[in-house]
Amino acid sequence: MEDEHPPEQVPLKQAVPAHLFALPVDEDGKATEFRPFSMASPHMRAFHLAWFSLFSCFFSTFSIPPLLAVIRDDLHLTETDTSRAAIAAFIGSIFSRIVMGPICDHLGPRVASATLSLLTSPIILATALVSSPNAFITIRFLVGFSLANFVANQFWMSRMFSGCVVGLANGVSAGWANTGAGATQLVMPLIYSFIMSAFNLPSSTAWRLSYIVPAVLQASTAVLVLTYGQDLPSGSYKRTSKKGSKDSFFEVFFHGIKNYRGWILALTYGFSFGVELTTDNIIAQYFYDRFGVNIQVAGTIASCFGLANFFSRPSGGLFSDMLGRRFGMRGKLWGLWATQTVAGLLCLLLGRVNSLWSSILVMCVFSVFVQAAAGLTFGVVPFVSKRSLGVISGITGGGGTMGAVITQLLLFSGSKYSKQTGISLMGIMMIVCTLPLSLMYFPQWGGMLCGPSHHPDLDLEADHYRLLK
Amino acid sequence: MASRSEIVLASLLLFLSCLAETSDANGVVLFSSLPNTLEMIVSPHKPEQVMKPAEGSWTFGGTLKAGEDKLSISWRLNQSFSAGTTDSGYKTIKVKLCYAPVSQVDRGWRKTVDNLAKDKTCQFKIETRPYKHGSSKWKYIDWTIKHDVPSASYFVRAYAYDGAGVAVAYGQSTGPKKNYNIFEVQGITGRHKTLDVVSICFSAFSVLSLVGFFVVEKTRAKPT
Repeated sequence: MEDEHPPEQVPLKQAVPAHLFALPVDEDGKATEFRPFSMASPHMRAFHLAWFSLFSCFFSTFSIPPLLAVIRDDLHLTETDTSRAAIAAFIGSIFSRIVMGPICDHLGPRVASATLSLLTSPIILATALVSSPNAFITIRFLVGFSLANFVANQFWMSRMFSGCVVGLANGVSAGWANTGAGATQLVMPLIYSFIMSAFNLPSSTAWRLSYIVPAVLQASTAVLVLTYGQDLPSGSYKRTSKKGSKDSFFEVFFHGIKNYRGWILALTYGFSFGVELTTDNIIAQYFYDRFGVNIQVAGTIASCFGLANFFSRPSGGLFSDMLGRRFGMRGKLWGLWATQTVAGLLCLLLGRVNSLWSSILVMCVFSVFVQAAAGLTFGVVPFVSKRSLGVISGITGGGGTMGAVITQLLLFSGSKYSKQTGISLMGIMMIVCTLPLSLMYFPQWGGMLCGPSHHPDLDLEADHYRLLK
Repeated sequence: MASRSEIVLASLLLFLSCLAETSDANGVVLFSSLPNTLEMIVSPHKPEQVMKPAEGSWTFGGTLKAGEDKLSISWRLNQSFSAGTTDSGYKTIKVKLCYAPVSQVDRGWRKTVDNLAKDKTCQFKIETRPYKHGSSKWKYIDWTIKHDVPSASYFVRAYAYDGAGVAVAYGQSTGPKKNYNIFEVQGITGRHKTLDVVSICFSAFSVLSLVGFFVVEKTRAKPT
């Protein structure tokens, strides 16, 4: 039996009594409603700070591919260099996401995410100083670390929002942040051409100067998070002094990694979010090479894929919450399995269609389903472990980018498979790797194939979560 | 004796078949179908007299700097062809800077493809000129290498186009295997001292603001 002790909350700011919150809250102070267009402190303000700071991290990490056509000639890069750099960006984030989990458990999401943003913003600016292929690969590796803020983002939302809306909060916050990857594909080329024409600079100086924009954006969001953010509804995050603490860093860490459910979710997330990342990387070139559209059109199609996150990932979160209310955890798991399997089938189809317009259509529907599946995954994550929420979020988040590295390495590097065969195989891998979801079992809520085991006090963590209104 | 209409028909068919040699049914022009009828010489400085260098020799050593150094490019119809055969169809000449094979390795965006519409070998335009017929004199350009030319190895090629804008012939400053008379250009770097200074200041600001925040939090926590 686990001893359930939420960390002692020593507020640095005066705690606001529950009846003074702008939103209805449960007994933990977590909001039970989600109003995206309000700035009410602390819940909705935390939401806006969280999604916008993660948006800037995605914006920075994916700001290099749109200008690659100019950078690669300047730095004398080969295709091997660029694909290595793309993989390096993801590898950097796997490690940092896993580590970010326990750091959030210990320091709180506000400090953790702002520190990471402030430390990685000089690195994206350092792109301006790069003059060799190895330096380029190193920069992409280091900038990828900033994607760990995703874990802090989801952790923060799970602390601010109650179980009945946590899926939606997680989904909207991650979905709106993911649009950063799409926005940067449109915005960076515009910034580059603006600098070239407005200041009459040569191309090789203009692209370097363009990286001031993501760096300043990232640093500004970090400062905003530090100034206006709050870890918990009742105040800042502070653990009791070490002498009384039953939850040492390692205890929390090992408690988290021993939970098999985190690893299953890491695998499934690797084949929803990971597939989404890989597709972001290859889709522009796929349309350019296979259908002969020009580079601007290919880039626009690629950005559409990323921008769909604005509504598709939140829809996944919303769907997860709805299923949770009607069918409990079993509904959430079935919903996740079904959405991801349909996404896998669409991916398989995408590799098989032969005309431009049907490919665009299938790609759009595929983007909705794969991003919704990612949203549904984080509708399940907060329920796996309350004590080691950060660790579970970190493992799942790391699994996401690991999936991107695996699919990219196996299917899209070198010329073993044509791109369309690679895409179809990716669809099949998605379907296969979603099957382990049937192995997930929560004693108090059941699993996909079995009902709950009728011992409500088996897992004390369960009482803290309200799936039903 | 063939009647007039039959002669017209025959010459029309001959003309059409000549066109067909250079393009297939879709109007796609293949590089392998173009005859190499122009000879070209490239050198970094204006020669006293234009002389064709020996095959396999480097015409010049050292690297040329983009934005600074000049190339002098000369071309004319290959005199060794029998006179009056081919150049009647040429209307325009386009001279381009092209990547040498060593700079195309592992770089799909510079790939050589036979279909001229998809070929990415020659990406920099040097000059476009109307073609002067019947002259055996060398035509000549003095070209300053543009700023945006990246560091790589190059050769120069000229395409001859007919009145409809379809390529009908070419000439290049190297051989069919593109393995001699290749020169190198060094592109500009774009890094400036100001940029370095701005980056350092920004990094310092980032780290200092983080440290400042921690200090402020610690002093605020002390009185409680």
